[in-house]
Amino acid sequence: MSTYTIPVGPLHVALEEPMYFRVEVEGETIVGLELTAGHVHRGIEYLAMKRNIYQNLTLLERVCSLCSNNHPFTYCMALEKIAGIQIPERAEYLRVIADEIKRIASHLFNIAMLAHIIGFDSLFMHVMELREIVQDIKETIYGNRMDLAANCIGGVRYDLSEEKIKYLARQLDNLKKPLEEITRIYMNNKFVRARTEGVGILPKDEALRYGVVGPVARGSGINNDVRVKSPYAAYDKLKVNVQVETGCDVKARALVRLREIQEAINIIQHCLKEIPDGPTCIDYLPEIPAGEAVAKSEAPRGELIYYLRTNGSDIPERIKWRVPTYMNWEALKVMMPGNKVADIPLIINSIDPCISCTER
Amino acid sequence: MSSFLKIALRNLFKSPTTDPYPFGETFVPEGLRGKAKYNAGACIACRMCEHVCAGGAIQIREVADKSGLEFILWHNTCTFCGLCEYYCPTKAIRLTEDYHTAHRQEDKYRYVEKGFIKYVNCAGCGTPMVPISPELLQRAYEHVNKEIEMLRHLCPKCRQKRALR
Ligand code: SF4
Ligand code: SF4
Repeated sequence: MSTYTIPVGPLHVALEEPMYFRVEVEGETIVGLELTAGHVHRGIEYLAMKRNIYQNLTLLERVCSLCSNNHPFTYCMALEKIAGIQIPERAEYLRVIADEIKRIASHLFNIAMLAHIIGFDSLFMHVMELREIVQDIKETIYGNRMDLAANCIGGVRYDLSEEKIKYLARQLDNLKKPLEEITRIYMNNKFVRARTEGVGILPKDEALRYGVVGPVARGSGINNDVRVKSPYAAYDKLKVNVQVETGCDVKARALVRLREIQEAINIIQHCLKEIPDGPTCIDYLPEIPAGEAVAKSEAPRGELIYYLRTNGSDIPERIKWRVPTYMNWEALKVMMPGNKVADIPLIINSIDPCISCTER
Repeated sequence: MSSFLKIALRNLFKSPTTDPYPFGETFVPEGLRGKAKYNAGACIACRMCEHVCAGGAIQIREVADKSGLEFILWHNTCTFCGLCEYYCPTKAIRLTEDYHTAHRQEDKYRYVEKGFIKYVNCAGCGTPMVPISPELLQRAYEHVNKEIEMLRHLCPKCRQKRALR
């Protein structure tokens, strides 16, 4: 059979972000893949070195919209490390709550996209409608549906009143039953199974070799959750059950996300019960000495690492980040070959790529 | 399929999730981060808001005749991040729940929030200075007595002299 090369992207109907794939096919089967990145360079790294530490809070939140909370969060942790700031305990819990809310919304979005790609649009709409509950939570507690603006240097910028805690708990309860329902659909539905089982296999040893992170790794049986392996904020005081699947395929990664949503709900509920009283932020303007630090957190897509160097002024000297997708997209070279052309968008979606983070 | 059919049927009989906006009411929670509003009376021209604004939406500058400071916030560059409000010591700048930002192209450069801080003359030496807002006094002293109230009308130099006396 003859071999063809087909270009997918940089702008493609099923890929929501610009990314260029050169796919080699034999008949209908993928035999090779080449990735070309770099279509949306926005120069944020450079910009961040022109702005002061406060302005960067806002700038970094806009690196990406789905994991937007993790960027300022990790950046603040790096700054606090350099300056030796101990944030109030209540702030640690509030940071976890903001993070987990974003995780739920992000995972639900990816799960919904899966349904959309396989052409199951009524399921897509249903999941997106469920996500609306989370969007309302964000809007009510933080004042915005995407960019929470929850973090500031030395703590958080929001607080939860008794009333808001009640509201949050109620909304989380509303999520639970429909979530169980859709989990069952993703596990058992004939159509979903036909398109996701055995598709985009990433065996455990390859996953380790490529150093994949987040739900992609956990779908291949690797327990690498930063929240457990090197706890930050209040995670050392909370119980996080890492969700690991061994299917190594698109379905396994989807199930990891679905279970993580459930787990995130549990974590928030736990937080709401345990959250101590007290201030939500340090009460002085911090001075950041010269120094460098690395901070990391578990973004919805996996481990996010920030490197930050300061020189005593309030403009960072160097800022550099490694985002989860950077590790994950290389592994597409293992996941793709052997699958059908029609599965390309599905497999790409299964790593939940965030091109805007990766190419910022 | 049957598992989803139940859900689909249930959804069919539910009312729509989307709001009928602009023909009806829509959900606006308290504390939504909308357009910023500025109150010149409370402002002490510390310029913290200008400093923290990532979008560079805020500008505070002296007017041509040197009679005071002009505050300009260009709504089109604002990202509604709320940092200005958070760091403003007197809460002279606040984000409102008004999220309506539609305007005509020709109004693009007039679509701003403006304010003017007129200099006052120091009660001691008469040099022009930025007035000290009651909000700042409230923040600095729990109880503002007559003595403190008087300090409000003095420039930093005269205040210093008074304190040393
Ligand atoms: S609005 Fe607030 S932060 Fe801005 S200059 Fe006035 S007092 Fe300072
Ligand atoms: S809300 Fe943010 S972007 Fe808008 S004026 Fe305030 S600091 Fe600037």
